[in-house]
Amino acid sequence: MEEEIKDKEFSFSKYAWKQFRINKPAMWSLRLLGFLIVLALLSPIIANDKPVYCKYKGETLFPAVSFYTKAEIRNPDEKLDIIQYDIADWKHMDLESAWWPLCAYVPYKSDFNNADYISPWGAQVFTDDKGETIAIPLKFRHWLGTNKKGEDVLSGLIHGTKISLTIGVFSMMLASFIGVFLGALAGYFGDKRLQTTRAKFWLLIIGTFVAYFYAFLVRGTILQDALSTSGFRFFVQLLISVVIFIGIIYLFNLFSKIFNRVPFLNKKVFVPVDMLVSRSVEILNSLPKLILIISLSVIAKPSVWNIVLIIGLTNWTDIARLTRAEFLRTSQLDYVQAGKSLGLSEFRIIFRHALPNSIAPAFIAIAFGIAGAILIESGLSFLGIGVAADSVTWGSLLSAARENFNAWWLVLFPGGAIFLTVTMYNLIGEGLRDALDPRLKR
Amino acid sequence: MLRYIAKRILFFIPTLVIITVIGFVISVNAPGDPVERMMTAASSGGEIGSQSRSQVEQKKYWKQKLGLDLPVFYFSLEKLSYPDTLYKIYDKNEREALCRLLDQHGNWEQISTYYNRVNTLYLSLVAFNPAVFNLEQYDKNVVTENFNTIKFEALSLKSAWQQPVIYSKITSVRKLIGGYIFLKEFQDELDSVRAAYQNIMSHETKWKSYFPVIYFYGNNQYHRWLFGDGGIYSNGLLRGDFGTSYQTKDSVSKTIFSRIGWSLFFTVFSIIIAYLVSIPLGVKAARNRGGRFDRISSVILFGLYSLPNFFVAILLLMLFANPDVLDIFPASGVKPNEGFDEDATIFQKIRLTLPHLIIPMICYSYSSFAFLSRIMRGSVIENIGLDYIRTARAKGLTEKAVVWKHAFKNSLLPIITIFAAVFPAAVGGSVILETIFTIPGMGLEAYNAITTQNYPMIIAVLTITSVFTLVGYLVSDILYAAVDPRISYS
Repeated sequence: MEEEIKDKEFSFSKYAWKQFRINKPAMWSLRLLGFLIVLALLSPIIANDKPVYCKYKGETLFPAVSFYTKAEIRNPDEKLDIIQYDIADWKHMDLESAWWPLCAYVPYKSDFNNADYISPWGAQVFTDDKGETIAIPLKFRHWLGTNKKGEDVLSGLIHGTKISLTIGVFSMMLASFIGVFLGALAGYFGDKRLQTTRAKFWLLIIGTFVAYFYAFLVRGTILQDALSTSGFRFFVQLLISVVIFIGIIYLFNLFSKIFNRVPFLNKKVFVPVDMLVSRSVEILNSLPKLILIISLSVIAKPSVWNIVLIIGLTNWTDIARLTRAEFLRTSQLDYVQAGKSLGLSEFRIIFRHALPNSIAPAFIAIAFGIAGAILIESGLSFLGIGVAADSVTWGSLLSAARENFNAWWLVLFPGGAIFLTVTMYNLIGEGLRDALDPRLKR
Repeated sequence: MLRYIAKRILFFIPTLVIITVIGFVISVNAPGDPVERMMTAASSGGEIGSQSRSQVEQKKYWKQKLGLDLPVFYFSLEKLSYPDTLYKIYDKNEREALCRLLDQHGNWEQISTYYNRVNTLYLSLVAFNPAVFNLEQYDKNVVTENFNTIKFEALSLKSAWQQPVIYSKITSVRKLIGGYIFLKEFQDELDSVRAAYQNIMSHETKWKSYFPVIYFYGNNQYHRWLFGDGGIYSNGLLRGDFGTSYQTKDSVSKTIFSRIGWSLFFTVFSIIIAYLVSIPLGVKAARNRGGRFDRISSVILFGLYSLPNFFVAILLLMLFANPDVLDIFPASGVKPNEGFDEDATIFQKIRLTLPHLIIPMICYSYSSFAFLSRIMRGSVIENIGLDYIRTARAKGLTEKAVVWKHAFKNSLLPIITIFAAVFPAAVGGSVILETIFTIPGMGLEAYNAITTQNYPMIIAVLTITSVFTLVGYLVSDILYAAVDPRISYS
């Protein structure tokens, strides 16, 4: 400890990292997380039904990683040979040389030769170029078996990693934005510290309605048309709407300065930020989360990003609660008071000075939250709700086992993947808790 | 204490209002047309571009029964050009077209005249029967085909809003009408439609689209959903009427109340089991802190906590309900498939039912028991480190008395508050588990409702489970006060 204090560059984050590194399970989980991220990013070249590299009629092709969707090959007799990458039957093409991915399948294409629950070490067959059925070559083996339709389990697992990680990380990213923001405001301002004048208070409430009217109602048809043409155009139009919204609120803010001259309207009022945030946390917590998420995912179109949105919008309460508690403490500390006496803006004090010192508990909640989000997502896709029906996830793989209890590979591998990932995030969360909050150390 | 409880119950009200608003918003925004859903079972596919009389009446009946002929909420923020009666146009496409026209031209007076004329044209076309005329000079099939085209075009005119589309539709109908003398009467009507449309163009009040207006409605869908309409079609949510199921056309409340028993049974019993197991386990682990029992149980509990319940369920079914491995327990249902004998005693019934309950009960309880044990262990360890325990030890009390008489009661506090978190988790988890084990409870009903897009049922389940959760919070607060004399709520 003495050494650390002597060290000039001592910082809390360094100390926390040092503490975290001692925690062996947490460190292993961190490594596993790194591995899963690499797996998810490299999934197109680890599990793909196209070779990574191949030589065909003298041309060198990289079908699995190519930006092009087809290749044109000129035969010696000047006839053009067009290969559509995604529909070409690469396994039966006369390739001069090829590097196949570790798993030579994509999750949503059936291998009819090996349909109807082939176990990992069961006899797998392959139709060779002459049309004869032979034992499968090692490079085309279904390492973890197939399901009823003959879809490869390993490939489903690898591509499912991408979906699980995306949903876990991005939904909690959204949740932590909301949770940290609201929690910070609630904890910092409490019920009695955000003062404003009557004029400003009421004008801003009216202004919100007016801004909503001009930004979203008047531009409703424009937004709707943009949504039906392209995502990018919708984004641009949405951005314009948001700019209008903020602009009008700003305008009303300026107006309020004029009205403040009236003595009656210049009376101080308190905005009960803490009460509002705490009440909404309470209400959201009293809704059964899974049923709420299920109900919401029924009205939203099934897609990964909608699930991210839904989980993010419903799971910020823990983060908000913890951040609020931390801010209640921080806002009383000397350096915050110092910042105030220096005349810094509240905004600056909250987000530049108080936040870095109050964010630690939120990290813990985020790690546990990702575990929870992955559980929710796999539960949803287990029920067949949520992400689009044609995308393969860990949950949907597992749910296929309900039709055949003898297909243990459909239970153990996807279930194990969910279990491992959830445990991993939980262990990281525990490690963070021990490292970031020395008081809790037992 | 009573005052506190009364206050808490009063506090339910705003929370419940918001929950009902959320439920209501979800059901209003649900895709698909409920009236169409209700009618698909009855109707047997009509002719294109025409609706039989009974169908129109049926539509009206369902609209009224479901309350869809009312405005949505107590108030709505609209553009000044919009009338406050726009909600009366039920058809989504027609309403959309009218909104587009209003956005383009802003003069409701002219637009409504135009809309009414198109409507009369369409209705008189539907009422018209070309067969009564002498059609000898024409090919009968061609006449029918052309007349159907006219009807279809007139119908689609109602949901058209782009200027070129409207003009081209009018022109094409005009051309077709012109070919037949007996259709001459429609020519004037068509001309009046055209005139009305041109009238819209010449009396534009575009500025009206840029001014906001708020309309208030006393009687609206939300109000009726909540309070009912005096018992004509609905008694309202507050009197326990959740509306009509789209699937069975039956009362949702009746279905729910027949299903609620099994859900509550599993939820409550699993929590009791979880508490019964986790309290001694947590205490034992805490007493041997760092010992072998503590280390092993910690790892196992941590693992159990991270195991998804559907994985465990399938795993247990695979091992113990599988004829090829061990066929000890039945795979689904809560009763023997063949039912009970008529003269079966209550004990026989229990004996036959019990095997059905064991695997589900394990799945329901293991995760909350893992969670609770961990909390209990931490709580006992924390208490054992406190001064009063040292005092108790210094007095010469036995270790058993120290732990069970002194530390134990105080260690219970956190896991009692946790009740509020365990209960909703159990309620929510029931959707997945009831689906896997086909337990006829609310969760299975919710799952079926979701797959068939039966929104009233989904909202009912959402509302009821929220109420349960609120009650769970209340119970845990009261228990908290009962266990800890330091806490008083007055």
